Amino acid sequence: MKVSTIWQRQLCYAGQLQQCGDEVEFLGEKQIITVVPTFNSPVLHLISGDVGPFRAGLPTNVPMWLAVQLKQRQQGKIQAPDWMDIDRLTEMKENEKQSQTFTKMPSDHYMVEAKILLDCASDDIPRADEIRTIIKDIWDIRMSKIRTSVNKLIKNADSYAGLDNLTVMEINSIRPILPHALDQIYRIKASKKLRVPSQNSTTFHTSSRPSTSFSS
Amino acid sequence: MPLPSSYSPNYFSIDDILATQERTPCKFLLNVPKMGQLNPSAAERDLKAGTSLELPLWLVIEMSAGRQPIITPELPKVFRESYREILKADACAVDLHKYSLHFYEVGSYVKHFDRRGDVHEILLHTFKTRYRQLMDLADNSVSDPSVQHSLDTLEKRIFVASHSARTKLNSWLIKSGSPLEAAELVVNHKKRKRVDVDDMK
Repeated sequence: MKVSTIWQRQLCYAGQLQQCGDEVEFLGEKQIITVVPTFNSPVLHLISGDVGPFRAGLPTNVPMWLAVQLKQRQQGKIQAPDWMDIDRLTEMKENEKQSQTFTKMPSDHYMVEAKILLDCASDDIPRADEIRTIIKDIWDIRMSKIRTSVNKLIKNADSYAGLDNLTVMEINSIRPILPHALDQIYRIKASKKLRVPSQNSTTFHTSSRPSTSFSS
Repeated sequence: MPLPSSYSPNYFSIDDILATQERTPCKFLLNVPKMGQLNPSAAERDLKAGTSLELPLWLVIEMSAGRQPIITPELPKVFRESYREILKADACAVDLHKYSLHFYEVGSYVKHFDRRGDVHEILLHTFKTRYRQLMDLADNSVSDPSVQHSLDTLEKRIFVASHSARTKLNSWLIKSGSPLEAAELVVNHKKRKRVDVDDMK
Protein backbone atom coordinates (compact mmCIF):
# COMPACT_ATOMS: atom_id res chain seq x y z
CA MET A 1 0.00 0.00 0.00
CA LYS A 2 1.34 3.39 -0.93
CA VAL A 3 1.44 5.73 2.01
CA SER A 4 1.04 8.73 -0.25
CA THR A 5 -2.51 7.75 -1.18
CA ILE A 6 -3.45 7.59 2.47
CA TRP A 7 -2.03 11.02 2.95
CA GLN A 8 -3.89 12.38 0.02
CA ARG A 9 -7.08 10.89 1.23
CA GLN A 10 -6.79 12.45 4.67
CA LEU A 11 -6.01 15.82 3.16
CA CYS A 12 -8.85 15.66 0.67
CA TYR A 13 -11.33 14.76 3.26
CA ALA A 14 -10.25 17.28 5.83
CA GLY A 15 -10.69 19.99 3.22
CA GLN A 16 -14.31 19.35 2.50
CA LEU A 17 -15.71 18.78 5.96
CA GLN A 18 -19.15 20.15 6.56
CA GLN A 19 -21.04 20.72 9.72
CA CYS A 20 -23.15 17.65 9.21
CA GLY A 21 -22.97 13.91 9.15
CA ASP A 22 -19.75 13.91 7.17
CA GLU A 23 -17.83 15.57 9.95
CA VAL A 24 -19.05 13.12 12.55
CA GLU A 25 -18.30 10.33 10.13
CA PHE A 26 -14.76 11.61 9.80
CA LEU A 27 -14.36 11.46 13.57
CA GLY A 28 -15.94 8.04 13.70
CA GLU A 29 -13.54 6.65 11.15
CA LYS A 30 -10.80 6.84 13.73
CA GLN A 31 -12.40 4.03 15.70
CA ILE A 32 -10.13 1.01 15.91
CA ILE A 33 -11.36 -2.22 14.38
CA THR A 34 -9.77 -5.54 13.58
CA VAL A 35 -8.77 -6.71 10.11
CA VAL A 36 -7.18 -9.89 8.89
CA PRO A 37 -4.64 -8.80 6.27
CA THR A 38 -3.62 -10.92 3.33
CA PHE A 39 -0.21 -9.35 2.90
CA ASN A 40 2.96 -8.70 4.84
CA SER A 41 4.15 -5.24 5.67
CA PRO A 42 6.28 -3.56 8.32
CA VAL A 43 4.84 -0.99 10.68
CA LEU A 44 3.21 2.02 8.99
CA HIS A 45 4.04 5.31 10.66
CA LEU A 46 1.00 7.60 10.48
CA ILE A 47 0.27 10.90 12.17
CA SER A 48 -2.35 9.31 14.35
CA GLY A 49 0.05 6.59 15.46
CA ASP A 50 1.78 3.48 14.23
CA VAL A 51 -0.22 0.75 12.55
CA GLY A 52 0.84 -2.81 12.03
CA PRO A 53 3.03 -4.70 11.40
CA PHE A 54 0.88 -6.74 9.07
CA ARG A 55 1.31 -10.50 8.80
CA ALA A 56 -0.93 -12.35 6.42
CA GLY A 57 -3.64 -14.14 8.38
CA LEU A 58 -2.93 -12.48 11.73
CA PRO A 59 -5.69 -10.13 13.01
CA THR A 60 -4.41 -6.58 13.42
CA ASN A 61 -6.02 -3.48 14.90
CA VAL A 62 -6.25 -0.56 12.51
CA PRO A 63 -8.31 2.63 12.26
CA MET A 64 -11.52 2.10 10.38
CA TRP A 65 -10.60 4.28 7.40
CA LEU A 66 -7.54 2.15 6.82
CA ALA A 67 -9.58 -1.01 7.16
CA VAL A 68 -11.91 0.25 4.46
CA GLN A 69 -8.97 0.98 2.19
CA LEU A 70 -7.57 -2.50 2.72
CA LYS A 71 -10.93 -4.05 2.10
CA GLN A 72 -11.43 -2.15 -1.13
CA ARG A 73 -8.02 -3.27 -2.37
CA GLN A 74 -8.89 -6.79 -1.27
CA GLN A 75 -5.85 -6.83 0.96
CA GLY A 76 -7.73 -7.88 4.04
CA LYS A 77 -10.93 -9.05 5.60
CA ILE A 78 -12.77 -7.01 8.15
CA GLN A 79 -13.81 -8.61 11.42
CA ALA A 80 -17.12 -7.25 12.58
CA PRO A 81 -16.98 -5.60 16.01
CA ASP A 82 -18.27 -7.74 18.89
CA TRP A 83 -21.53 -5.89 19.16
CA MET A 84 -22.40 -6.27 15.50
CA ASP A 85 -24.24 -9.45 16.19
CA ILE A 86 -27.93 -10.18 15.83
CA ASP A 87 -28.50 -11.49 19.36
CA ARG A 88 -26.72 -8.62 21.08
CA LEU A 89 -28.42 -6.06 18.90
CA THR A 90 -31.87 -7.54 19.52
CA GLU A 91 -31.22 -7.38 23.23
CA MET A 92 -30.06 -3.77 22.91
CA LYS A 93 -33.15 -2.91 20.97
CA GLU A 94 -35.41 -4.44 23.61
CA ASN A 95 -33.60 -2.58 26.38
CA GLU A 96 -33.89 0.63 24.44
CA LYS A 97 -37.61 0.07 24.03
CA GLN A 98 -38.19 -0.70 27.69
CA SER A 99 -36.07 2.05 29.13
CA GLN A 100 -37.31 5.58 29.61
CA THR A 101 -33.84 6.98 29.29
CA PHE A 102 -31.12 6.29 26.79
CA THR A 103 -29.23 3.06 27.20
CA LYS A 104 -25.52 2.71 26.79
CA MET A 105 -24.43 2.05 23.25
CA PRO A 106 -21.47 -0.25 22.61
CA SER A 107 -19.67 2.43 20.67
CA ASP A 108 -19.75 6.21 20.55
CA HIS A 109 -19.97 5.98 16.80
CA TYR A 110 -22.18 2.96 16.38
CA MET A 111 -24.10 4.53 13.52
CA VAL A 112 -20.99 5.49 11.58
CA GLU A 113 -19.34 2.13 12.14
CA ALA A 114 -22.44 0.26 11.10
CA LYS A 115 -22.97 2.34 8.01
CA ILE A 116 -19.40 2.18 6.77
CA LEU A 117 -18.75 -1.45 7.56
CA LEU A 118 -22.06 -2.64 6.19
CA ASP A 119 -21.50 -0.60 3.05
CA CYS A 120 -18.06 -1.84 2.18
CA ALA A 121 -17.75 -5.19 3.90
CA SER A 122 -21.20 -6.69 3.95
CA ASP A 123 -19.70 -9.98 2.75
CA ASP A 124 -17.46 -10.21 5.84
CA ILE A 125 -20.29 -9.66 8.29
CA PRO A 126 -22.77 -12.46 8.85
CA ARG A 127 -26.43 -11.51 8.31
CA ALA A 128 -25.57 -8.00 7.28
CA ASP A 129 -29.05 -7.14 6.06
CA GLU A 130 -30.72 -8.05 9.35
CA ILE A 131 -28.10 -6.07 11.25
CA ARG A 132 -28.74 -3.09 9.03
CA THR A 133 -32.46 -3.13 9.79
CA ILE A 134 -32.04 -3.65 13.50
CA ILE A 135 -29.52 -0.82 13.85
CA LYS A 136 -31.84 1.47 11.96
CA ASP A 137 -34.60 0.45 14.38
CA ILE A 138 -32.45 1.33 17.36
CA TRP A 139 -31.57 4.64 15.76
CA ASP A 140 -35.23 5.43 15.14
CA ILE A 141 -36.23 4.60 18.70
CA ARG A 142 -33.50 6.81 20.06
CA MET A 143 -34.35 9.62 17.67
CA SER A 144 -37.95 9.67 18.77
CA LYS A 145 -36.79 9.73 22.40
CA ILE A 146 -34.59 12.70 21.61
CA ARG A 147 -37.46 14.53 20.01
CA THR A 148 -39.79 14.03 22.95
CA SER A 149 -37.19 14.98 25.52
CA VAL A 150 -36.08 18.06 23.60
CA ASN A 151 -39.66 19.21 23.33
CA LYS A 152 -40.12 18.61 27.05
CA LEU A 153 -36.97 20.55 27.80
CA ILE A 154 -38.17 23.60 25.88
CA LYS A 155 -41.74 23.46 27.04
CA ASN A 156 -41.22 22.90 30.73
CA ALA A 157 -38.33 25.31 30.86
CA ASP A 158 -36.17 22.75 32.59
CA SER A 159 -32.83 24.22 33.37
CA TYR A 160 -30.66 21.37 32.21
CA ALA A 161 -30.69 18.21 30.16
CA GLY A 162 -28.54 15.17 30.73
CA LEU A 163 -26.86 13.84 27.62
CA ASP A 164 -25.92 10.53 29.19
CA ASN A 165 -25.25 7.76 26.72
CA LEU A 166 -26.06 9.87 23.69
CA THR A 167 -23.68 9.26 20.83
CA VAL A 168 -22.02 11.94 18.75
CA MET A 169 -24.22 11.50 15.71
CA GLU A 170 -27.35 11.76 17.81
CA ILE A 171 -26.24 14.97 19.46
CA ASN A 172 -25.39 16.24 16.02
CA SER A 173 -28.94 15.57 14.88
CA ILE A 174 -30.43 18.20 17.18
CA ARG A 175 -27.98 20.82 16.15
CA PRO A 176 -28.49 23.62 15.35
CA ILE A 177 -32.17 23.85 16.20
CA LEU A 178 -31.91 23.23 19.94
CA PRO A 179 -29.00 25.56 20.71
CA HIS A 180 -30.61 28.28 18.61
CA ALA A 181 -33.92 27.93 20.36
CA LEU A 182 -32.26 28.01 23.78
CA ASP A 183 -30.36 31.14 22.74
CA GLN A 184 -33.55 32.85 21.75
CA ILE A 185 -35.28 31.89 24.98
CA TYR A 186 -32.31 33.26 26.84
CA ARG A 187 -32.48 36.49 24.88
CA ILE A 188 -36.16 36.94 25.60
CA LYS A 189 -35.64 36.21 29.26
CA ALA A 190 -32.54 38.34 29.64
CA SER A 191 -34.05 41.38 27.99
CA LYS A 192 -36.68 41.51 30.69
CA LYS A 193 -34.66 43.20 33.36
CA LEU A 194 -32.32 45.46 31.51
CA ARG A 195 -34.44 48.18 30.01
CA VAL A 196 -37.04 50.00 31.99
CA PRO A 197 -38.57 52.95 30.20
CA SER A 198 -38.58 56.38 31.80
CA GLN A 199 -35.64 55.70 34.01
CA ASN A 200 -34.56 58.69 36.00
CA SER A 201 -30.90 58.31 35.23
CA THR A 202 -30.19 59.65 31.76
CA THR A 203 -32.06 61.53 29.14
CA PHE A 204 -30.92 59.36 26.30
CA HIS A 205 -29.80 55.88 26.88
CA THR A 206 -28.69 53.42 24.34
CA SER A 207 -30.40 50.13 24.12
CA SER A 208 -28.39 47.47 25.85
CA ARG A 209 -30.11 44.28 25.00
CA PRO A 210 -28.00 41.22 25.56
CA SER A 211 -26.63 39.85 22.40
CA THR A 212 -25.89 36.26 21.75
CA SER A 213 -22.28 35.89 20.92
CA PHE A 214 -22.62 34.53 17.43
CA SER A 215 -20.36 35.97 14.85
CA SER A 216 -20.05 34.71 11.35
CA MET B 1 -21.96 26.74 11.70
CA PRO B 2 -21.92 30.24 10.33
CA LEU B 3 -24.66 32.55 11.43
CA PRO B 4 -25.26 36.00 10.08
CA SER B 5 -24.02 38.68 12.41
CA SER B 6 -27.41 40.33 12.36
CA TYR B 7 -28.64 37.40 14.36
CA SER B 8 -28.08 39.35 17.52
CA PRO B 9 -29.11 42.93 17.92
CA ASN B 10 -26.16 45.19 17.50
CA TYR B 11 -25.89 48.64 15.99
CA PHE B 12 -25.55 47.34 12.46
CA SER B 13 -28.02 44.50 12.72
CA ILE B 14 -30.32 44.73 9.71
CA ASP B 15 -33.02 42.73 11.43
CA ASP B 16 -32.94 45.00 14.41
CA ILE B 17 -33.22 48.05 12.17
CA LEU B 18 -36.16 46.53 10.31
CA ALA B 19 -37.84 45.48 13.51
CA THR B 20 -37.61 48.93 15.04
CA GLN B 21 -39.40 50.40 12.01
CA GLU B 22 -42.60 48.91 13.36
CA ARG B 23 -45.41 51.44 13.78
CA THR B 24 -46.10 51.92 17.44
CA PRO B 25 -49.04 53.89 18.75
CA CYS B 26 -48.22 56.60 21.28
CA LYS B 27 -49.70 59.66 22.86
CA PHE B 28 -48.02 63.04 23.19
CA LEU B 29 -47.72 64.45 26.69
CA LEU B 30 -46.33 67.85 25.74
CA ASN B 31 -46.86 70.42 23.06
CA VAL B 32 -44.19 70.02 20.46
CA PRO B 33 -43.64 73.17 18.39
CA LYS B 34 -43.19 72.98 14.62
CA MET B 35 -43.72 69.26 14.44
CA GLY B 36 -47.23 69.43 13.06
CA GLN B 37 -46.25 67.64 9.89
CA LEU B 38 -45.88 64.44 11.87
CA ASN B 39 -49.65 64.36 12.15
CA PRO B 40 -51.02 64.04 8.62
CA SER B 41 -54.61 64.55 9.71
CA ALA B 42 -54.07 68.08 11.05
CA ALA B 43 -52.79 71.17 9.28
CA GLU B 44 -51.43 72.94 12.34
CA ARG B 45 -47.81 73.91 12.79
CA ASP B 46 -47.49 72.65 16.30
CA LEU B 47 -48.21 69.24 17.68
CA LYS B 48 -50.57 69.46 20.64
CA ALA B 49 -50.38 67.46 23.83
CA GLY B 50 -52.83 64.59 23.82
CA THR B 51 -52.45 63.77 20.13
CA SER B 52 -52.32 60.07 19.36
CA LEU B 53 -49.98 59.05 16.59
CA GLU B 54 -48.20 56.06 15.23
CA LEU B 55 -44.46 56.54 15.18
CA PRO B 56 -41.59 54.16 14.43
CA LEU B 57 -40.53 52.08 17.38
CA TRP B 58 -37.00 53.50 17.54
CA LEU B 59 -38.39 57.01 17.89
CA VAL B 60 -40.94 55.98 20.48
CA ILE B 61 -38.30 54.28 22.61
CA GLU B 62 -36.09 57.35 22.70
CA MET B 63 -38.88 59.88 23.19
CA SER B 64 -40.55 57.95 25.98
CA ALA B 65 -37.34 57.47 27.92
CA GLY B 66 -35.49 59.91 30.03
CA ARG B 67 -36.40 62.27 32.80
CA GLN B 68 -39.05 64.14 30.89
CA PRO B 69 -40.78 61.81 28.47
CA ILE B 70 -42.47 63.52 25.56
CA ILE B 71 -44.81 60.67 24.75
CA THR B 72 -46.33 57.69 26.45
CA PRO B 73 -46.00 54.54 24.39
CA GLU B 74 -48.83 52.12 23.91
CA LEU B 75 -48.67 48.49 22.92
CA PRO B 76 -49.01 47.70 19.22
CA LYS B 77 -52.21 45.92 18.34
CA VAL B 78 -50.78 42.41 18.21
CA PHE B 79 -49.47 42.62 21.76
CA ARG B 80 -52.72 43.79 23.29
CA GLU B 81 -54.94 41.73 25.53
CA SER B 82 -57.27 40.31 22.87
CA TYR B 83 -54.40 39.11 20.69
CA ARG B 84 -52.58 37.78 23.72
CA GLU B 85 -55.63 35.68 24.50
CA ILE B 86 -55.49 34.14 21.05
CA LEU B 87 -51.82 33.30 21.49
CA LYS B 88 -52.52 31.84 24.90
CA ALA B 89 -55.27 29.63 23.50
CA ASP B 90 -53.19 28.06 20.76
CA ALA B 91 -50.03 29.69 19.60
CA CYS B 92 -49.46 27.07 16.92
CA ALA B 93 -52.59 27.95 15.03
CA VAL B 94 -51.59 31.57 14.64
CA ASP B 95 -50.11 33.01 11.49
CA LEU B 96 -47.29 34.87 13.20
CA HIS B 97 -46.04 36.21 9.90
CA LYS B 98 -49.28 38.14 9.56
CA TYR B 99 -49.11 39.37 13.13
CA SER B 100 -45.78 40.95 12.71
CA LEU B 101 -42.76 40.19 10.55
CA HIS B 102 -40.51 40.57 13.55
CA PHE B 103 -42.77 39.38 16.30
CA TYR B 104 -40.15 38.44 18.86
CA GLU B 105 -37.80 41.31 18.09
CA VAL B 106 -40.52 43.91 18.36
CA GLY B 107 -41.97 42.08 21.32
CA SER B 108 -38.82 42.24 23.34
CA TYR B 109 -38.72 46.02 22.87
CA VAL B 110 -42.41 46.59 23.36
CA LYS B 111 -42.73 44.49 26.47
CA HIS B 112 -41.13 47.25 28.50
CA PHE B 113 -44.19 49.37 27.80
CA ASP B 114 -46.25 46.82 29.63
CA ARG B 115 -45.62 47.13 33.32
CA ARG B 116 -47.27 43.88 34.34
CA GLY B 117 -45.00 41.73 32.25
CA ASP B 118 -47.80 39.95 30.40
CA VAL B 119 -46.12 40.59 27.06
CA HIS B 120 -42.95 39.01 28.32
CA GLU B 121 -44.86 35.93 29.38
CA ILE B 122 -46.66 35.66 26.08
CA LEU B 123 -43.42 35.94 24.10
CA LEU B 124 -41.91 33.05 26.00
CA HIS B 125 -45.11 31.05 25.84
CA THR B 126 -45.45 31.57 22.10
CA PHE B 127 -41.89 30.60 21.37
CA LYS B 128 -42.00 27.49 23.50
CA THR B 129 -45.33 26.32 22.18
CA ARG B 130 -44.37 26.85 18.59
CA TYR B 131 -41.00 25.16 19.03
CA ARG B 132 -42.45 21.69 18.54
CA GLN B 133 -44.05 22.77 15.31
CA LEU B 134 -40.81 24.35 14.19
CA MET B 135 -38.91 21.17 14.95
CA ASP B 136 -41.41 19.04 13.04
CA LEU B 137 -41.25 21.44 10.15
CA ALA B 138 -37.48 21.38 10.03
CA ASP B 139 -37.48 17.59 9.97
CA ASN B 140 -40.17 17.29 7.43
CA SER B 141 -40.98 20.42 5.51
CA VAL B 142 -42.50 18.69 2.52
CA SER B 143 -45.57 17.58 4.42
CA ASP B 144 -47.18 20.98 4.67
CA PRO B 145 -45.37 23.83 2.95
CA SER B 146 -48.05 26.32 3.93
CA VAL B 147 -46.95 26.23 7.57
CA GLN B 148 -43.64 27.71 6.52
CA HIS B 149 -45.32 30.95 5.59
CA SER B 150 -46.70 31.47 9.06
CA LEU B 151 -43.29 31.83 10.69
CA ASP B 152 -41.87 35.13 11.77
CA THR B 153 -38.38 36.16 10.69
CA LEU B 154 -36.61 34.73 13.69
CA GLU B 155 -38.38 31.40 13.48
CA LYS B 156 -37.71 31.30 9.78
CA ARG B 157 -34.02 31.74 10.37
CA ILE B 158 -33.93 28.88 12.84
CA PHE B 159 -35.99 26.83 10.42
CA VAL B 160 -33.66 27.42 7.49
CA ALA B 161 -30.56 26.56 9.49
CA SER B 162 -31.96 23.43 11.03
CA HIS B 163 -33.66 22.30 7.86
CA SER B 164 -30.44 22.35 5.90
CA ALA B 165 -28.68 20.50 8.70
CA ARG B 166 -31.42 17.90 8.77
CA THR B 167 -31.31 17.47 5.00
CA LYS B 168 -27.59 16.88 5.18
CA LEU B 169 -28.01 14.34 7.94
CA ASN B 170 -30.72 12.54 6.00
CA SER B 171 -28.66 12.44 2.85
CA TRP B 172 -25.77 11.08 4.90
CA LEU B 173 -28.01 8.33 6.21
CA ILE B 174 -29.23 7.41 2.75
CA LYS B 175 -26.14 7.70 0.61
CA SER B 176 -23.87 4.73 0.47
CA GLY B 177 -20.34 4.40 -0.73
CA SER B 178 -20.25 7.69 -2.53
CA PRO B 179 -16.86 8.37 -4.05
CA LEU B 180 -14.57 10.75 -2.29
CA GLU B 181 -14.09 13.95 -4.16
CA ALA B 182 -11.03 16.04 -3.81
CA ALA B 183 -11.61 19.32 -2.08
CA GLU B 184 -11.49 22.41 -4.22
CA LEU B 185 -8.54 23.49 -2.21
CA VAL B 186 -6.52 20.50 -3.33
CA VAL B 187 -7.68 20.53 -6.94
CA ASN B 188 -6.82 24.18 -7.38
CA HIS B 189 -3.57 23.80 -5.61
CA LYS B 190 -0.75 24.97 -7.79
CA LYS B 191 2.72 25.94 -6.99
CA ARG B 192 2.81 29.46 -5.73
CA LYS B 193 4.51 31.72 -8.19
CA ARG B 194 7.13 34.05 -6.95
CA VAL B 195 5.72 37.53 -6.83
CA ASP B 196 7.51 39.78 -9.19
CA VAL B 197 8.17 42.93 -7.25
CA ASP B 198 8.54 45.03 -10.34
CA ASP B 199 5.10 44.07 -11.61
CA MET B 200 3.45 45.24 -8.48
CA LYS B 201 4.68 48.76 -8.81
